Amino acid sequence: MSGQYFNSITENASRLGMRIQESISEHTRELSITRGASTAYLEAPDDKSKNIRKQLDSNSDREKLDAMKRLIAMISKGRNVSEYFAQVVKNVASHNLEIRKLVYIYLLRYAEQEPDLALLSINTFQKDLTDINPLIRAMALRVLSGIKVPVIGSIVVLAIKKCAADVSPYVRKNAALAIPKCFELDPSHTPALITIITTLLRDRSSLCIGSVAVAFEAVCPTRLDLLHQQYRRLCRILVDVDEWGQVDLLSLLLRYARMMLARPDVEGDSIDPDLNLLLNSTEPLLQSRNPAVVLGATRIFYYTGPPSRLSKVTQPLLRLLPGSKEVSRIVLVYISVIARDSPYLFTPYYTRFLVSTEDLRVVKLTKIQLLLHLLTPETYSSILREFIDCADDTDNEVVTVAVQALGKCSHQIPESTQTCLNALISMIKSRHDTVVSSAVLVLKILVQNELEVESHSRPIQTQQNPGMSIISHLAHRIDDIKHPQARACVVWLAGQYAASDAPSADCEGMHDWAPDVLRKAVKGFINEDPIVKLQVITMAAKLLVLNPTDRTLLLLGRHTLNLAKYDLDYDVRDRARMVGALLVGVLPKEVNGADEVPEERGGVVLRREQVRVVLFNGKAGVVDKDKPSDDRSLLGSLGMITGRPMRGDDILTDWLEEGIEPSLRTNPDDTTTPSAIPTAISSRPHSKATSAHASPVILTPGASPSGSAMRDSSKGLWGDLDSFYAEESEEEEEDVGSEDDEENEDDNDEEDGEEVDEEDGDEDSLDATTNETRPMLQPSVGAS
Amino acid sequence: MAIDGLIILDSAGRPIIQSGFRSTSPSYALVHIDAYNNAVAAAESKPGSRPGDIDPVIYVPPFNSADSPSACCHVPCGDLQILCPLSGDVDPLFAFAFVQTFVDILTEYFATVNAVTLKDNFDVVYQLLEETLDSGGHPLTTSPNALRDIVLPPSLLTKLLSVAGANFSHTMNAGSSASGPFASPIPWRRAGVKYASNEIYFDTAEEIKAIVGKNGTPLSCNVWGVAQANSRLSGTPDCLLTFTNAHVLADCSFHPCVRQTLDRLQRWARDKSLSFVPPDGNFTLFEYRYAPAASSTGTSLVASQGGKDNDPLPIALKHSFDITNTSCTFEVSVTSRLTTRDIEGFVAKLYVGDNATAIKCVMGRGSAGMSRGLATETGSGGSSWSFDAKSKVVRWEIPKMASSSSWYLRGSFNSTSTPPRPAHAIQTHFEIHSYTFSSLEVESLKVTGEQYKPYKGVRGRTSGNIEWRW
Repeated sequence: MSGQYFNSITENASRLGMRIQESISEHTRELSITRGASTAYLEAPDDKSKNIRKQLDSNSDREKLDAMKRLIAMISKGRNVSEYFAQVVKNVASHNLEIRKLVYIYLLRYAEQEPDLALLSINTFQKDLTDINPLIRAMALRVLSGIKVPVIGSIVVLAIKKCAADVSPYVRKNAALAIPKCFELDPSHTPALITIITTLLRDRSSLCIGSVAVAFEAVCPTRLDLLHQQYRRLCRILVDVDEWGQVDLLSLLLRYARMMLARPDVEGDSIDPDLNLLLNSTEPLLQSRNPAVVLGATRIFYYTGPPSRLSKVTQPLLRLLPGSKEVSRIVLVYISVIARDSPYLFTPYYTRFLVSTEDLRVVKLTKIQLLLHLLTPETYSSILREFIDCADDTDNEVVTVAVQALGKCSHQIPESTQTCLNALISMIKSRHDTVVSSAVLVLKILVQNELEVESHSRPIQTQQNPGMSIISHLAHRIDDIKHPQARACVVWLAGQYAASDAPSADCEGMHDWAPDVLRKAVKGFINEDPIVKLQVITMAAKLLVLNPTDRTLLLLGRHTLNLAKYDLDYDVRDRARMVGALLVGVLPKEVNGADEVPEERGGVVLRREQVRVVLFNGKAGVVDKDKPSDDRSLLGSLGMITGRPMRGDDILTDWLEEGIEPSLRTNPDDTTTPSAIPTAISSRPHSKATSAHASPVILTPGASPSGSAMRDSSKGLWGDLDSFYAEESEEEEEDVGSEDDEENEDDNDEEDGEEVDEEDGDEDSLDATTNETRPMLQPSVGAS
Repeated sequence: MAIDGLIILDSAGRPIIQSGFRSTSPSYALVHIDAYNNAVAAAESKPGSRPGDIDPVIYVPPFNSADSPSACCHVPCGDLQILCPLSGDVDPLFAFAFVQTFVDILTEYFATVNAVTLKDNFDVVYQLLEETLDSGGHPLTTSPNALRDIVLPPSLLTKLLSVAGANFSHTMNAGSSASGPFASPIPWRRAGVKYASNEIYFDTAEEIKAIVGKNGTPLSCNVWGVAQANSRLSGTPDCLLTFTNAHVLADCSFHPCVRQTLDRLQRWARDKSLSFVPPDGNFTLFEYRYAPAASSTGTSLVASQGGKDNDPLPIALKHSFDITNTSCTFEVSVTSRLTTRDIEGFVAKLYVGDNATAIKCVMGRGSAGMSRGLATETGSGGSSWSFDAKSKVVRWEIPKMASSSSWYLRGSFNSTSTPPRPAHAIQTHFEIHSYTFSSLEVESLKVTGEQYKPYKGVRGRTSGNIEWRW
């Protein structure tokens, strides 16, 4: 019964809903027009823009909004709309948030170009800095710092300083991001900016710390000494920072560790506790979904960790591969670099790098390169098979690289040579030019290497020699090899290794197949490619030197030279002339004189042995060497991906022999606030606690500098490296010195003298306030 | 680390939306747009290279001698292309991660991201750009929950207001600080969320990626999973999610809500239960790899990676190719190995090479080759084939494959010049609904910190991408 009743209610409700829907859609037909109009903004012709000025000056918010949208649309189309700047600036104080946002967007684009007009609005911005809405405060600061007029530099510094002490971490984050812009505008503000950075470094909120790292890198990248006391805290809050902040913070901590900590042992059993802290805090970041964070964490392990802990990065990097194709293209390069030094990390996972036909060309090439690093006696057979499969690819570049990889494989793993040779020989039968030519070129190198090795152990003569058998195989297939480069290569091989001491039925002094190759090559001589012709001439000469008495061979050689002498290609004619001259002393006189009038020629006539040396020696041992890996660019740099030097490619400093004194990093705050990690995640009462956490950071100039008295002398005096060293020498000179004296000395040594000290005082008094408020908060924290 | 800016191009390579570029020459953005368009044109015109085969990071030489070289990262997104110019020492992964985040935000705001929606809402897009990317190129606010407070999503209400001329948005935004922007103590969760019924849904989507060798044995086979969640819970719930078979999950990565604070991560390491305060709305809770053999570490991995330990592939594919100097005939047959479920949306793709012409195919249901008569009887059974002349790919689609059914495709094509050179692999893609390889099961979901007991829903689906070499 009640169910029925309920049903009828729901039915009625849905009917009502539909009716409302209908009436709304009816009444909002106008809406759909405005929706279309939104597109119309983008496609509107420019003549409409004349109204914009009038609209901006009108009293109606709607008109203004319309005009602003029109302007943004024109910016989007790439028009220059800076002419409206004056009208737009007037609206910066609009009480309508949407208009104001669009005005800010406009101002951010054009403030640079119209600095004078932008100056007019500075008062408004300064007023906005005190707005109750953090969004407005942040935007005002953003525009203010975007106006590139050096005159207002000090105003901007003041604004940044004010915002750096804001209640909202969002505004503080924007303050940190404004610092680099102010620095670019006028570097003379550096000391003031460094002071602000120092303050922000102590910020309790994890939201803005990443932006502080950005500011630090931009303004004072060398002042790593400022981080001493914050280092441990930064490590600990790393996990709570937002992902973009983690990336920046990781690279900052990496530099700090390489600069200030001691190099870990190879075994990793004696490791600096501070480095250990960094590694431990970084480890959870490897589980981030953001690839940039994973890479940042990988860099920490790769550049600072002991080798024993490097294996942590294997799985996280592999995990990134099935993601988007863009990410996998980049990650593969990084894996390839790591695998070059430590292939054992990735060898068990080589199947993850198998080449798919859908991969981008550059990905295929990187994968082949990577698989080459992973060759071991256990994996080679599968990887070899992969290379053979890659040789079927539709992309010529991939084919070439894959076939070359086969050659390298046989070079690296001697056991694989036979398989490689078989594969290469079968590739020669392929229908595709690229496959054949690459295979032949690689075969040539392999054969030469093989013969090189052989010649050290025993003479080359034996027919069973695998190198020689390949050559004879190639020689017999000369007709099938069509690709000019490959053909030239085979002809060269046949000539170079034709010599044989074995008794022969046809022709003394060479293998049986050698004259045959020459015969086949000469037959179609005029149709050959020039590079083949050159090799045929050379081969003829070599054979003649090996056996100058055989009549048939002699005629064949002479025929070759005659053909070449009248060739179209001048290189070929040149080669024929040179070879002819070279052979003058070798060939028997009667043949020489048969069809030519012997001329009187100058110069030296070489004997047969000498010609043989000229033609045969010094050709072997062409080993293909990998390009020397001079690639020292950092993991995670643009230069590594593009393969070209880019601006600002970073170099990491080498470790210090001994780290900086660890006591420098003790921060008294740490001991007083064990719960430095924000306890943000919790229910209601807690949120109060965190906002209270954030709020006390207000820089009040009136705060008594007497707070400095409270500071721990061991930490306060070593505010920076210079004063630390200064103090140390001091202590050596006079062992006992009163604290006041030291402090005076300190003041003199510091470059930015009083200002810094004063600031220190302020901060300390701040700390005092935070410490005071904290006990009150404790109960609520404990309660949750 | 900072990117230079973002440029969104339409399908014709014209810019729709550009972020501001700082302290570079006015032509900077144009140079990058040109570099991208040239790369596209080059990939299309170059023989032997497939259209769209462009390095995702294009090197852009310095425009003039005073400039420094830069690089143009680009990511496709629907019919759009998003360019992200980089100069200086920046990790390209940073750029790609940011672009991905931005696309996610756009999807969250406009449901579908294409040229039309962006043109319709360009003012919102500009506001989003302004809030997510500082003019120095540093990401600002990227959490969708926080953004929703700053930039109002386009909705009927805002349009209504804008038409009515009244504008309440400022009062809504600047209102009480409790619900104002950045009032929430948790950066990824909005403050003061209220729902009448408290529900949370989990979707696990698994994807099998495999390469099958010429001899028919899988060379590599991995199953990757993503757990998407849609949270509609009031207040600040602290959830604890446990699984019945969590041991099959490996290589996990988590949403910041799980990663933030070490305790929660350690909890996962200790007893494989997920503790988190979810953001409001859609988010990716975690990603994993399905590792059936939990002890598969160390040396035994080579064997287990080969896919022998994993489930057998859900489909079997047989193929034969016959290539002569001018033509190629091929025959492909596919059989579903599942006994109880249907395979849906099966697609096989074969790239037939640059010079392929005169493509003809016949297809049908039943085993191929031997039973021609049977095949013609049953007809094509809903399957279809098509040929895209631009990408030179033959597509074979079967909308629904009943369990244990077989299908075949026979075809031939000619080659105008050189011998035919098709890709030596067939790509297949398919989906299986309400099925996961890992059969991951949620054991319980406990919520602390709030009074209600939420309704939880769990779904699973599987897709497959398998390459068959020949």
